[in-house]
Amino acid sequence: MLRKSNPLRVALLAVGVICAFSSYATIVSDTVYLNRGTMLAVDSTNIPYFAFNNTSVFDRENERLFLDVDDTMELLVINTDSLTHGFDIKHYTGVNSVNSVIPANSSILVSFQFQEEGAYIFYDPTQSESFRYMGAGGMIVCRSPNANIHRFFWNMKDHQVLFNENLNQGIPVDWTQYYPNYFTINGNSNPYINEDSDARVTGSVGDTIYIYMVNTGQSLHSIHLHGYHGEIIQSSKFPSHVGRSKDTVPVYSMEVVILKIVPDQPGEYPVHDHNLVAVSGGNIYPNGMFLTMLIN
Amino acid sequence: MSKFTTTLICSFGILLFASSQQDLNFLLIARNTGEKILTNNDTIRVFGFAQSLGEQPGVPGPTLEMNEGDSVHIDLWNVSQGAPHTIHLHGLDVDQQNDGVPHLSFDVHHMDHGYYHFKAPHAGTYLYHCHVASTIHVQAGMYGLIIVRPPNGSNTTWNGGYEYTQEHSFFLSEIDTAWHTDSVLLHDHDSTLTIHQVEIPKFDPQFFLINGLSDQQLIDSNTVFNSAVGQIDYTRLTNIGFCGVRVIFPPELNARIIASDGRPLPAEEISDTVYLFPGERFGVLTDPSIEFTGQITFDYIDMNTMMVKNAQVIPVNISGFAGGNEVEIETFDLKLSPNPFKEKLEVEFKLNQAEGISFQFVDFSGRIVENVSLGNFDIGKHTVVLGEKLPSNKPYILKIFGENGIIQTATVVKL
Repeated sequence: MLRKSNPLRVALLAVGVICAFSSYATIVSDTVYLNRGTMLAVDSTNIPYFAFNNTSVFDRENERLFLDVDDTMELLVINTDSLTHGFDIKHYTGVNSVNSVIPANSSILVSFQFQEEGAYIFYDPTQSESFRYMGAGGMIVCRSPNANIHRFFWNMKDHQVLFNENLNQGIPVDWTQYYPNYFTINGNSNPYINEDSDARVTGSVGDTIYIYMVNTGQSLHSIHLHGYHGEIIQSSKFPSHVGRSKDTVPVYSMEVVILKIVPDQPGEYPVHDHNLVAVSGGNIYPNGMFLTMLIN
Repeated sequence: MSKFTTTLICSFGILLFASSQQDLNFLLIARNTGEKILTNNDTIRVFGFAQSLGEQPGVPGPTLEMNEGDSVHIDLWNVSQGAPHTIHLHGLDVDQQNDGVPHLSFDVHHMDHGYYHFKAPHAGTYLYHCHVASTIHVQAGMYGLIIVRPPNGSNTTWNGGYEYTQEHSFFLSEIDTAWHTDSVLLHDHDSTLTIHQVEIPKFDPQFFLINGLSDQQLIDSNTVFNSAVGQIDYTRLTNIGFCGVRVIFPPELNARIIASDGRPLPAEEISDTVYLFPGERFGVLTDPSIEFTGQITFDYIDMNTMMVKNAQVIPVNISGFAGGNEVEIETFDLKLSPNPFKEKLEVEFKLNQAEGISFQFVDFSGRIVENVSLGNFDIGKHTVVLGEKLPSNKPYILKIFGENGIIQTATVVKL
C-alpha cells in the first residue's frame, strides 16, 4: 500500500541531500609566494633558484598544495620578484584557464578543482619554462577523503649550475647541450633525502603506500625500487600504463607517476634513479637521487 | 573418486611439481683486469664477471638461467684487487641481506667469497650488477642478464602464458672510453667504509652496445633476427645503460608488448615501438605475417635532452613458414671472404646434391639491391665471386636460394 508523501518530509530530505553534497565540495584557500633565492646544493655549491613557498622567505622546497576531489582551491600567488613570472597547471582541463601572468611584485588569484584524485604539477611557464627549470614547480595533491593510505611526495629536479647561472642573468642557454650535475628530490640530494619524512618511505609490511612522483626538472628520471614492485596507479603521460607492476618507472619531464606499494617483506631498500649518473651530485657518487625505504 | 585416490593423485602432483624445482649453483668471479675490444679495434680495460679463472670477464657477463621456484645460490668470488664488489639482483625483490647494496647487506673484498641465496620468483627477465660505486662499476662492465623461466622450464613466457618457438635477447648498454682509464676505474676506496664517495667524469658515450657489441662487431657476429612466417618468437629487451633506448620493430613482425620488469602487462600493447629506460626490461612477442627482410632499430636517447645519440640495427630475415619444410643448412658450409670486402666477395659453399643456386643482396631497409642467378651446380665445393656491382659503404643481407627456397643468409659489408 502506498503512503501519501508528506511535503514537509520531502523538503527536509531535499535540504539534507543538498547539505550532504555541499559538505563534500568546499572552497580551500591557500597562498604561495614566488621567491627568488639560492639553493645550497649537497656540496655547498650555490645554485640560483626560484621556488613557490608558503611565506615570502625563500626555501628550496616548493610548497605542496592539498585538496580533496571536487573541492575548489582559491590560490593567491604572490610574486615577490622584480621580474614578471607566471602560474599554470600542467594538463589542467578545468573550465577556466589558470594560466596567468604575474607582474613583478604583484599577485593574482586563481581557482581550480579536480574531479579525479592524483597529483598535478603547478609551475611558472614564463620564458619558455626557464623559471620552472630554475626551481619554480611544485605538486598539487588531490585526495579522496578518509582513505587509509600512507603517502609520500617526491618533487624531482635536476640542475646544471651554469644553466641556472646564465638564466638568472638573462643569458640564453642551449638545451641541446644540457648536462645536469645536481639531482634532487624535494630540494635534497643523498644523504639528506632520507631526513625528509615526506620523501623517505617508511611503513610496515602490509601497509598501502602511495609514492607521488612529479618530475619538474628537465631530464627523464628512471626510478628503480629495490625489494618491491609497485603498481602504477597514475601516469599522466601514459594513462594506459595504469595497473602495470614495475620495479623501474620512467618519469618524463613535467609528468606525474603515482606508485602503489604494499610491502611484503621488512627491510631497508634503496630507491634511486637508474640513470646512474643521476646518483651523483657535483660529480660525486652517491650524492644524487638516492634514498631508502624502511619497512618494519 | 575415493578419498584415497584423490590423495594419491594430489601427492603425485605435488611430488611432480617439487621434483621440477632444483637447487642451482652459480659461480661468478669478479675481476677488474678484463679487456674489451671495441668496434674500432681499440682495447679498453673493463671490470666484469667470469665463471672460471681462465676466462676473461665478458661484457655483459654470463647469463644466469633458472626456473621459477628454483633455489638459487650464487658464489661471488672477488679475485680483483681494489674496491670490493657485490651482486644486486635487479628486479628479483630478494630480501635485504641478498640485495647486494654494500651498506645495507654486505660487500665482498679481495679474495673473499660472498654468497647470495634466493628462490627464483616470477618467470621473466631480470639482471644483476655490482652495486659498489655503481655508477662506475656498471659502466665498467659488471652486469649480466637473468632469465627466469616457468616452473617446467618450457618455452612459455610465464606459467599459463604464451608459448613461443624461439627466443631473442637484446641487452643494451653504452661505453664511454674516458671512464675505462685506471684513474677512473681504480677509484679510491676505504675498506673500513661501505659507502664509497667517488668522483665520476662526464658521461659522453662513443659506443652503443647490443649484447656487448656495436656497429661492425654486430655485423661480424652475424646477429640476425631469423624467423619464419607464423612463427611466434619472444624477444627480451634489457637496458642497463645510462641512455634510454627506442626499439623499433618492422611492422611486418606484428610486435606485441606483453611483459615488463618480470611481470605480465595487465593489458598487452600492440606496438612496433618500445621505449626502455635505464633498468627497465620488456618482453615482446612477434608473429610475422609475410616473408621479408628488414631491421630492428635501436635508437639511443640522451636522458637530458631526449635527443637520439646513436642508432644500431639488427637485421631481420623472415623466410619460410612455421612448420614448413626446413632446409638442412648445416651441410652448406658457407664461407665468405673477405668480409667486409672492398671489391669482390668470395662465396664458398658445398652442395650434397646438384641444384640451381641463386643469390640476392638486400639492404637493411629491405630493398633488393642485386639478384644473381648462376644456374646449376654439381655436388661438391664451389666458389663464386659476387658483389662487384654493389654500392660501397653499406651492409647487406646475402640470401642464398636453392630450388626449395632460402638455404642460408648472412650479413656482409662492402667497404
